This record gives sequence, structure tokens and C-alpha cells, in this order.
Amino acid sequence: MHFWQDVQFGNRMITLMAAVVLVLQIMMVTQRWLITNIRAFALQSFLMACIATTIAYYNNAPHIYAAAVLMLLVKVILLPVLFERLVTRIDILQEIEPLVNAPISVIVAGLLTLLAYVVAESFHRPDEPMGPASLGHNTLAVAIALFLIGFFMMVNRRKALTQVLALLSLENGIFLAAISLTYGMPMIVEIGIFFDVLVGAMVLAILVYRIRETFDSMDVSRLSRLKG
Amino acid sequence: MTIIILLLIPLVACGLSTAMRTRQWMEGIHVASAAASLFAAMLLAAEVLRQGPVSGINGFLYADHLSALVALLTAFVYLACAPYAVGYLRRDQALLFLAPSDDDMAALAKQRMYYSLTPLFVFCMFLVVVSNNLGVMWIAIEGTTLASIFLVTFYGRPTSLEAAWKYAMIGGVGLSMALFGTVLTYYSAHLVLGGDSVSALNWSVLVQQASHFDKPVMRLAFILILLGYGTKAGLAPMHTWKPDAYCEAPVPVAALMATAVLNCAIYGLARFYVLTVRCLGTAFASNLLILFGLLSVAVAVPFILVQRSSRRLLAYSSIDNGGIMVLGLGFGGALGALAMLLHMTYHSVTKPLLFLSVGNIQQHTGNDSLRKGARGLLHVLPISAPMFLLGALAVTGTPPFSMFQSEFMVLRAGFTGQHVGVSVLLIICLVIIFGGFFHHVAQLVLGPPSGAPREVMSRWKTYPVIGLAMLVIGMGFLMPAPLYQLIDGAARVLAVQQ
Repeated sequence: MHFWQDVQFGNRMITLMAAVVLVLQIMMVTQRWLITNIRAFALQSFLMACIATTIAYYNNAPHIYAAAVLMLLVKVILLPVLFERLVTRIDILQEIEPLVNAPISVIVAGLLTLLAYVVAESFHRPDEPMGPASLGHNTLAVAIALFLIGFFMMVNRRKALTQVLALLSLENGIFLAAISLTYGMPMIVEIGIFFDVLVGAMVLAILVYRIRETFDSMDVSRLSRLKG
Repeated sequence: MTIIILLLIPLVACGLSTAMRTRQWMEGIHVASAAASLFAAMLLAAEVLRQGPVSGINGFLYADHLSALVALLTAFVYLACAPYAVGYLRRDQALLFLAPSDDDMAALAKQRMYYSLTPLFVFCMFLVVVSNNLGVMWIAIEGTTLASIFLVTFYGRPTSLEAAWKYAMIGGVGLSMALFGTVLTYYSAHLVLGGDSVSALNWSVLVQQASHFDKPVMRLAFILILLGYGTKAGLAPMHTWKPDAYCEAPVPVAALMATAVLNCAIYGLARFYVLTVRCLGTAFASNLLILFGLLSVAVAVPFILVQRSSRRLLAYSSIDNGGIMVLGLGFGGALGALAMLLHMTYHSVTKPLLFLSVGNIQQHTGNDSLRKGARGLLHVLPISAPMFLLGALAVTGTPPFSMFQSEFMVLRAGFTGQHVGVSVLLIICLVIIFGGFFHHVAQLVLGPPSGAPREVMSRWKTYPVIGLAMLVIGMGFLMPAPLYQLIDGAARVLAVQQ
């Protein structure tokens, strides 16, 4: 038996990748260069696809391979390329000062991670036997943390494109939860969700472009004419 | 079979409208598809009444009384808005809102966008109510957002982009919470059901096993679902996108969003409510629903009192009515569920009347302001203005209109359910809302003539208003027996004993 066929090894790999995913998310909180943000998001999505592949390998689940391939095509290749072209075309490279400055943002992200671990603790089953079926359950805390930090980024950032990236990384958190807890929801649902994410991101990209044309900036805080 | 036809009609209309070259054809297809949708929804309702829940495509589609009711209401609003949209867009074209100067091709392209996106929007709403799979239901609800974003940006003004941006971002975050909730529901269920078959997310399967679900997981799932679909329904404090979107979208789309989308979001919430009650008992879910429902009604009060725009006034009224529906569901029991569904039905008839008559007023006076706009519209718009007053009286729950009955029933459910404090607060809010609404609308409609010329309205724009007004009056006195049976059956779906 090769060492990679051992479930313990798979579990460690998944934990490692999930940790990197979390670090990337916290990096995106502080990063001001849009291109770097887009690449961090692409790398994060790539690690998601790797986690999905690992789980699929140990469980012999072909439909999770399909989810991983979809992830790779949509969130690692298609959307980042689209966004990078958008950034170069509208010629905005840097995020303006967020509402909360970088050091405090990191502290908030850390607190949110802590909160995520507290929430995930209530789902913990210590008596569960270690096997392919329980693989990746310990990443639930990371999934919730991604979700919460993504939410924080959406509130904190003011550029339209970073808000879209925050929304997509928040959805990465849901993907991680779906993959690690339930081995992907039924296939039809996954395809539908990816389709939605794709269409949604395209709609948002077009909106970002139009907002840029109308307001000559992607600063969302200027969108404040409608009140009451 | 009827279910599939119901889904196909708007989809075909969408496809045909994109292919058509002339405006007349698009208008004809639009109105015909709306009429056909209502007919199909009625057939579906009749089928459900006759033989109970129907399913299609191996249990992928499923319609019980609740689905049939919401589908019927959606189709009804679609039909009420379809002929109106024809007149509305023609007038917009004449006013050069669709395209600068005499650019007929650009105006035609705008209308093609409207006539193809609106049926797609309606298709998504039909899919919400007839899909058995909770994941597919989520996709369909997200689909309604995507299909309507470009209807919110229809006029391309800077404010419409702002509204669409808020709508997309707040809606996106909300729906991702709902997705997380759906994932967790699946997780709590699959510990019981096992396997990863497609049917494991089917509501008809889940509802039978709900009492064995993992309880802590289900608790978190319901909170996320409530926040998610609550955002889509515009419950406070996630309601901020609503006034902006309603004010920027074309009036018929705003009417669809204020009634049909609200119904669909509450429908989604109600499906999960049933699962949660079966799993955790009534107290947990009911208390959360009452909290958010009361908050929505209370948030609407100050904004209605100081409102300056009539479209935004209607949006806050829709937030308030969504809150009342959620309160009815939260009060629980057979009475609460029945009250909520009656309120949903009456609201879906009354609110389009308000939107369509406000649309007529706005197109005539050129703005939707309540302050600087014309006074004494009664003399200028002899049909739309009094109908607006009538609709305003009906929607605030004045007797003898039907919404008085349903609001009264919600209150009765509250008092019998030992929620006395909440019910008293609700009464206070409703009275203030009535006062504020009546103050604004009376100022706008009544008063001395301003001397403005009398509007010659096209029949496309007045007949739907008159028809809806007759229905609003009629429903106060008479409820068709089959419709009541349908509502009663739907209430039985919701009023579960744990």
C-alpha cells in the first residue's frame, strides 16, 4: 500500500490546503492591488478544486471530480481572465483606502476565524470513526471563516470589482462546506450553482463596466443618491 | 404534464420575442403568453384540487396546493401587467425614454429586451414553485435576480445603475446565505437518509423524515435560510435594496417584483419552515419569524410617514405587507397559516393596482414625487387617480376591502397564539401606516384642480387598472369557492404538527 492511499495522509493534505485557503483569504483582506487580489482568488479556487479532487479520490465519487473540473474551468480560469482583462481595460489598478485600515482588518479577520471555530465546534463529533466518509469534516470551520471574512470584505471594500471578488470568495466558503460535509450536493444542483455563479459574475462584470462609464470610477461609495 | 406546459409557456415566449423583428409581434406574444400562463396555472390548480399533489419528470417537479396557489398568483400578476406593459412602453417610446430622438431601432432593441427578459423572469418564478428539489428551487430564486437585474437598469440612468448594484450585491449575499442554509439542510438530512441520490434534496422526501434530522445543524440552517430568503423578500433589516429597485424598474416589472417575487421568497421560506418545525418544534422558528416580521412592519412606519416618492411609498408598503405575512406564518397554527396565505392572495391582487395606477400618474405628470408634484390629480386623471386612492385604502386594510379580513385574521392568530404584545404593536403600526398612506395619497389625488390638461390615456393602460379595481372590490365580498379550497389546502401544508 502506497502512503498516499492512507486516509490519514489525505486528511492531512486537506487540512494543509484548507489552511492555505484561509491564509489567502486573509491576504485578500489587506491586499490593495486588484491584480494580486484576482490572482489570490484564482489560487484559492485552485486549492478548492484540489480539495475536491482529494475527497473524490478517497471516496471514489465521480461526481465530485466533475465539481472539481467545473471549479477549475469557471473560477480558476474563466472568471480571473475575464476580471484581469476588465482591470486592464478600465485602467484601475489599486483599491482606494478601505473603510477599516489594514491592521485592524487583519484583527477583524482573525476574530471572525475564531468565531467560525466556535460555531463549527457544535457540529464536532468526537466519536466519529476516521475513514473516507469523515474526510474533510474538520474544514467546516475554515468554510465558515471564509464565509464570514468574505462578508466582511464586501462591507469593507469600496471598489466594485473587489466587492465582486469578495462575493465569489464567500461562495468558495459555501463550496468548501458542501464538498467537505456532504461530498457535494446532488450533481444537478452543483451544475446549476456553477452556472449561476458564472452568469452572476458576468452580469456583475458588465455592471461594473457600466458603472465605470457613468461615474468615471468604480468607487461604490459614490453610489449614494438614492435615499429614504 | 400541466406543470411542464406551465414552465414551457414563458420560456417559449422568451425565445420567440428575441427572434421577432416587429414590435407588434412581440406585444402579441407577450400578452398571449401571459393569458396562456394563467390558463395553465388554473389547470394545474384544478388538477391539484381534484387529485392532490401532482409530480412530473420522476419527481423532479412537484406541485401541491401551496405551489399551485403561488403559481396562480404569479400568473395572475403576469397577466395583469402584460397588456399594461404594452401601453406603458409605447408611451415611453413616445416620450423618448427608450432611445434618444427618433432612433427607432434602439427603441425596438429596448423593447425586445423587455419582452424577452420579463417572460424569463416569470419562468424562474414558476420554476421556484414547482421544483421539488430545494437546490433547484434555490437556483430558480437566484435566476429571478439575474433575469431582473437588466430590467432594473432598463432606463440606463445613473440612479438605475446604483439601484441595480445594490440589488445585485445585497441579493447576492442574501442568496449565498440561503445556499449555505440549503447545504446544511442537506447535511442534516443525509445523516438520516444516507446516499447521495438526487432525491435526497426533494422536499416531498425530506418532509417525511424531518423529525430525525440533526437538530443543531438544522437550527443553523434555518437561521441562514431566514436571512437569505428574507433578503429576497425584503424583510428588515435586509430591505434596503427594495425601494431603489422598485423605483428604477419599469412599472410592470416593479409590480411583478413587489408581489410575485415576494410571494416566491416567502414560499421558499415557508417550505423550510415546515421542515424546521417538524425537526425542532414550533417555538424556535416561530420566534425568529415573529422577530423579523415585526421588525419589517416597524421599519416601514417612519419611512412611510416621511416619504417623498410614491413608488418608494409602495415599496415600503410591500416591506410592511411581507412582514405581516411572515408574522402570520410565525404565529403558527392552522389559523396563522391560513391568514398568511389569504394575505398573500389579497396583496397580489391589490398591489399591482397601486403600481399600475402610479405608473399612469407618473407618466402623465413626469415624476413620482409626492411633494412637488401636481395636486388634485382627480381632475386630470379621472380613472387612474381615484383607482390609486381605492387601492391605497385597500392595501392599508380598510374595511370592507379584503385585506382588512386577512390582517384581522393575522391578529386573531396572534392573540390565540399568546403573542399579545406583538399583536398590540402590530395594530399600532398598522394604524400609523394607514394614517401616513392616506395623508400622502389624499394630498396627491384630491384637492382643487391644478389646471393641467386632462390626459387621454391609451386603453392598454386604463383597462388593466379598471379590471384590477373591480377585482379588488369584488374580493372584499366574494371569494370563489375553488380558490378558497386551494388556499385552505395550502394552509394545511404549512400548518404542521411536529
